[in-house]
Amino acid sequence: MLKRGIAGLFLILALWGGGVFLFDVPEYLLPGPGTVFDRLGFLYANAGLLGHVQVTLVEIFWGFVFGLLAGVVCAVIFARIPVTERLATPLILLLQTAPKIAIAPLLLLWLGLGPAPKIVLIAIVTFFPVMTGMLSGLRFVNKSFLDLAQVLKLTAWQRFVHIELPASLPTLFAGATVATTLAMTAAVIGELMGSNEGMGYLLSMGQENADTATVIGMVLLLSLTGWLFYEVAEYLRRRMEARFSDV
Amino acid sequence: MISVSGLTKRFEMDGGASVLALSPVTHHIPEGAFVSIVGPSGCGKSTFLRLVAGLEEASDGTITLDTGATRRPVGFVFQDAVLLPWKTVRDNIRFPLDTAGAKKSEGNKRVQELIDLVGLTGFEDALPKQLSGGMRQRAAIARALADDPPILLMDEPFSAVDLLTRETLNDELLKIWKATGKTILLVTHSVEEAAYLGSDIMVMSPRPGRLKKTYSVDLPYPRTPETKALPGYHALVSDLRSDLRETE
Repeated sequence: MLKRGIAGLFLILALWGGGVFLFDVPEYLLPGPGTVFDRLGFLYANAGLLGHVQVTLVEIFWGFVFGLLAGVVCAVIFARIPVTERLATPLILLLQTAPKIAIAPLLLLWLGLGPAPKIVLIAIVTFFPVMTGMLSGLRFVNKSFLDLAQVLKLTAWQRFVHIELPASLPTLFAGATVATTLAMTAAVIGELMGSNEGMGYLLSMGQENADTATVIGMVLLLSLTGWLFYEVAEYLRRRMEARFSDV
Repeated sequence: MISVSGLTKRFEMDGGASVLALSPVTHHIPEGAFVSIVGPSGCGKSTFLRLVAGLEEASDGTITLDTGATRRPVGFVFQDAVLLPWKTVRDNIRFPLDTAGAKKSEGNKRVQELIDLVGLTGFEDALPKQLSGGMRQRAAIARALADDPPILLMDEPFSAVDLLTRETLNDELLKIWKATGKTILLVTHSVEEAAYLGSDIMVMSPRPGRLKKTYSVDLPYPRTPETKALPGYHALVSDLRSDLRETE
């Protein structure tokens, strides 16, 4: 999968470079791959590109961790106390259906230009698929496992750690895999709306200066990061499925 | 060891109707007995077992387990082994010990004994999905015995394994019974299995589920393939068969 993906990437680069060369596309509209890579090299040497990449990655990391934890905790509470799900559902759906691009300015107003609003936005988008994945895992735990828990007189905590949590890991990770791509988007939206560091910030700088090469470079870098992030999550999901699914 | 009195189970259906799964059963099972519970589908035999295990709540009547202050009076062997797929054979077997807070060293010793007892030596670190159905069921029996419950409840434990394995497991179960002195209740729909294993037999019949008849089996132990050649065995099997036929 990954190998074919990389091959596809090279194909796109070849078509892009070839197209720009053949049709003599002006630089300001679509620079060739060489120009874009030169630009990335320039940003690396003069604009602290790696620092910006790191800022975005750190935001995604914390946003993802918080969203994941919140999703798991909420799913457990909803599964235990069904009335809480009915109470929380309107709020959760409101938060999920509101366009992220519309929530972002609000978060910026509340939390400033630093990483905080981005982390919150990422946590919000991560939360939902993780929560639904975990919840469906908890709902469909093999009934016989619960009988076993009862015969062994397990405490609620023991039942959770030894039975419910492991049984839910495959669907939890399926949700987390979906969340990775959403998290990337949320990070960029947050940074585009207002920031002074991060890949999204460089992207908006490029746009303001009509610097097409920087914009394309950032888009490429963001896509690659998101792709890598997704592959890691997908790998973990497959491992979880192999180890924890009920056969 | 187990006394039930007027034990009744009704399942409530949607819309207020209810189905009588077990009409009042009063019966006493002495300590160390091996009771086969036999009957056709829907006779309440599994319901009876689940009531004794505390997996279902009785609609009426009482169950008294004469097991003192034992925290887990029963070990339960399910129809499908119900091993946790993410734990190795060893960890599945020691699961009751670990969750009861037993010492690690004590658990290790006990688990090794059990693995030897059920003949799973060499498969300690395998995952359940790597085992055959018969081996999974052996692991499930070892798990049910792990924290030494005085009563062992088995719900059609061998119905999913092939005939040859089933006969081997029957003999091994008898050995385990002799070695441990447990009180065993085994649900089966096979009259041969019921007759071969049981010191006592409960025959149940459906619509509504009830205890139809009990037998005290006087076939000698140890039971071996020769037992199946005894006239007494054949007479018992044929009696059980006609009991079941009457219930149709």
